[in-house]
Amino acid sequence: MIRLLLVDDEEDFRTTLAGRLKRRNIDISDVGSGEEALDLLKKKSFDVAIVDIKMPGMDGIEALKHIKEIDPLMEVILLTGHASIEAGIEGIKSGAYDYVIKPCNIGNLLDKIEDAYRRRLIEEGHAK
Amino acid sequence: MLKKLKLFIRERFSSNTSARDNLSDLFRFKYSCFKMLLDSNAEFLKVISDIEEKLQGQKVFGMSYIRSRSAKAVFHALRMVKNLDDLSGHCYSSLFEVFEKINSNINQILNKKKEDLPSENILPYSMVNAEMADWVGGKNANLGEVHNKVGLPIPNGFAIAIRAFKSFMLKTDLFDKVSKKKLEIDPDNPETIINISDEIRKLIISTELPPEIEEAIMLAYKKLAESAVNNRSLDCSFMVSMRSSAIGEDSELSAAGQYLSKLNVPPDKIILAYKEIAASLYTPQAITYRLNKGIRDEDIGMSVGCLQMVESVSSGVMYSRNPLNLLEKNVIITAVPGLGPYAVSGVVTPDSYTVDRDGQIISAEVSQKTVKLVCNPDGGLMEVPVEDDFRHKPCLLPEHIHILTEYAKKLEDHYGCSQDIEWALDADGNIIILQSRPLRAEQFGKTIPITPVLAAYPLLIEKGMTVSGGVGIGPAFLVASDDDLLNFPDGSVLIARHSSPKLVMAMKKAKAIVTDIGNIAGHMASLAREFAVPTIVNANVATTTIPSGMEITVDAYSGRVYKGRVTELESFQNPGQFPMKNTPVYNILREASDWIVPLNLTDARSPNFTPANCKSLHDISRLVHEFSYSEMFQLSDFVSDRKGIAFKLKGSIPIDLYVIDLGGGLTENNPSLKDVSPDKIASVPFKALLGGLLHEEFQQNQLRPVEFKGFLSVMREQVLAPPSVVERFGDRSYALISDKYLNFSSRVGYHYSILDCYCSQTVNMNYISFSFKGGAADDVRRNRRTRAIAIILQALDFSVEVKADKVDAKCQKHESNLIEQKLDMLGRLLQFTRQMDMLMSNEASVEAAAKNFLSGKYSL
Repeated sequence: MIRLLLVDDEEDFRTTLAGRLKRRNIDISDVGSGEEALDLLKKKSFDVAIVDIKMPGMDGIEALKHIKEIDPLMEVILLTGHASIEAGIEGIKSGAYDYVIKPCNIGNLLDKIEDAYRRRLIEEGHAK
Repeated sequence: MLKKLKLFIRERFSSNTSARDNLSDLFRFKYSCFKMLLDSNAEFLKVISDIEEKLQGQKVFGMSYIRSRSAKAVFHALRMVKNLDDLSGHCYSSLFEVFEKINSNINQILNKKKEDLPSENILPYSMVNAEMADWVGGKNANLGEVHNKVGLPIPNGFAIAIRAFKSFMLKTDLFDKVSKKKLEIDPDNPETIINISDEIRKLIISTELPPEIEEAIMLAYKKLAESAVNNRSLDCSFMVSMRSSAIGEDSELSAAGQYLSKLNVPPDKIILAYKEIAASLYTPQAITYRLNKGIRDEDIGMSVGCLQMVESVSSGVMYSRNPLNLLEKNVIITAVPGLGPYAVSGVVTPDSYTVDRDGQIISAEVSQKTVKLVCNPDGGLMEVPVEDDFRHKPCLLPEHIHILTEYAKKLEDHYGCSQDIEWALDADGNIIILQSRPLRAEQFGKTIPITPVLAAYPLLIEKGMTVSGGVGIGPAFLVASDDDLLNFPDGSVLIARHSSPKLVMAMKKAKAIVTDIGNIAGHMASLAREFAVPTIVNANVATTTIPSGMEITVDAYSGRVYKGRVTELESFQNPGQFPMKNTPVYNILREASDWIVPLNLTDARSPNFTPANCKSLHDISRLVHEFSYSEMFQLSDFVSDRKGIAFKLKGSIPIDLYVIDLGGGLTENNPSLKDVSPDKIASVPFKALLGGLLHEEFQQNQLRPVEFKGFLSVMREQVLAPPSVVERFGDRSYALISDKYLNFSSRVGYHYSILDCYCSQTVNMNYISFSFKGGAADDVRRNRRTRAIAIILQALDFSVEVKADKVDAKCQKHESNLIEQKLDMLGRLLQFTRQMDMLMSNEASVEAAAKNFLSGKYSL
């Protein structure tokens, strides 16, 4: 089962998405900020994170950088609603797996999650 | 590199139990990288054509356009590099450095010009020109340009700048509220778009403007009203017209009249009208348009033009040239009594005047006008009957027509292209320009003929597809080889079978380019626009009907080629000067685009085709794209010595064939299955190939009709391959498939073939590459077979390269149904090849075998 961390400050969107992903057999935890995400990462490890770029406090790009410090092999998918494309460039440079535009089609998102998970498996192999 | 990966697979997948899953994961992962790479390549090429269009200088843009386009190009180039690096198991890390160097050069150029956004919320038109498109939207910028640069009268007024819109949306949290609402949209369900659009617009209209914005607008209005009242001494309230003027990519929509404009607005309705116009950014059409085009809300904004309401006696539209005939230099004017909307709505038939360049009226059709639109004293418009005496009278006097014609000529000269102009005639007899825009938005791919067929000249090509507009005249020169390109004579018209970026070598010398086959959004198309060479693709029969040396005229406006020198079109060979050219903003785009647009790596076979030689983002994308094909091509190297991850294809298949699904390739996915029947295949390209492999001819001509042990065993007996070879290559065919993708490899004794294909609705992403290696090159028969295959592939419109006993063939950017047809033929060819050795008894048999195949005679 893929262990997924969802980080987004928009609660409605987050809980709806978390619910839908749970039904698709994904082990999902969701938090409302980058700070909470980093706290949770101290206790639990994940395969893939979905992180909204635009959040109050620690933004998605900053969260991504911290996540990559804690677990370099964790794959991070960025959610962009109205974030700038410059943030997308910064994100890819900082090791993000890819991006998904909000609002998003659940099927596409699921594919993206699985692809990101595969990358993690493969990169783990390299790391050995 | 391959060794490294194979080693890695062996290490990683050494335990047999999980080998199936793991290797399948690797394939799926590589395929997902490939898909993202293709996706970004398509996006990247779109940005390139967009920048090239702006470089022509006819359309207005500002710094934020340059920034957002550059960022998009940078993003997609980076995403391509990342995915090639992932796909290859990190063999291309050096490309990141190359990319970073180019990226920092672009940033340096962009940082030279600070974003000197004006601090004003209001800009009077006397301060506005074409370079301010970022601040006041394209429509307002153009109107300012008409007044300040062309020197024509426009209504008094001011633009409420984008700045005012942004602070309205930010200070009232509307941006956040709107984007939250937008999350409720299900992109697949149009009804949700309509509902959400409604809610968003209501939300915007019911929100109070920040006080400083409202004050600024009303103060500007007061000044405008005072200056006008001084002139006219009116005691009723002073009315304005309010016009939408969106920024960025949206300005196309804006020009097409998609956003709201309000006429005859009284002072107490100005603020409401402003909000209504701002809210029209969120009509269902606009939301859908942006969703489809991937335009982010951050890049949109609405400026509003607030102009003195011209209570026109008559008004209308004029074209500086006949829109359906560029050759006709007459100005066409239409006019209705009263206000403008009826000139285009079809409620009344307007008067229509045709005037030549010298102001001579060639024809005047005066219609009967029963109703007109006028200003309602309380605001808004109303329809009233036209007074009996005026119903049959022309709307315009000869002197008005003369002035309008002069204005049309001036506007066309200034903008360098024919114009579509809105005008009004006020009560004092003054002609006022309300809007001017290019007559025809260039639509790549949809060639709308704008020149008439000139019957005096023999028409050689009637319906090509325009890639780059213009006219080119010169002797034809057919290019069939690299040598032809090197020897291309200056001033000739280049004729080629396929479009290819290699043609760039002759672009500086070519007057025009015509190809039989090609794509409007490919690399060559982009080069042709960059070099401003008039270019037509998909002319189908150019190479067969136009001999070298014949003088021809290429009319790339309308996709036609004539025999001879068409004097009527001569004057269109040199485009004029355009308003954006040589402005500071234009020069920054020019400089930045030097790192983005030029394509130097045009030949994938050249020794210079390396990361170190990438000088632009376009080079990087071209290189990554090309290398990704080879990476995917090699996928089959991983399967041939692996067992247990594939489904066997069962049924009456004369081949020992195994299928690996990368996602969506099968109608059902059940990992416990050991085999799969052909009707369970969902992969479009694989289905097409199977169609050819299973063609009835081959079923009937099986050498062993009962015992279908397969292609393989038959083949082995025929060629008596040494056991070592069989062992080395394995004895199975593999198909790695997804819904749109196919990688098919079959290795049989001496020869092997690999086919790699993407077949989707996105023409630009589609391709087939096919390789056939015949075995030892010194075997005369096999060499003949190779040559016969090359002839067949050429006839099937592949670009083909033969090296010793190996044939490499490629075709790309065809519609999916054409790709499927070609796959079907390749399936037949694969079957045909196994009988071929026997046919190859002498040299003549090379041509004979090819001819047989092409005429559908597959049996011996």
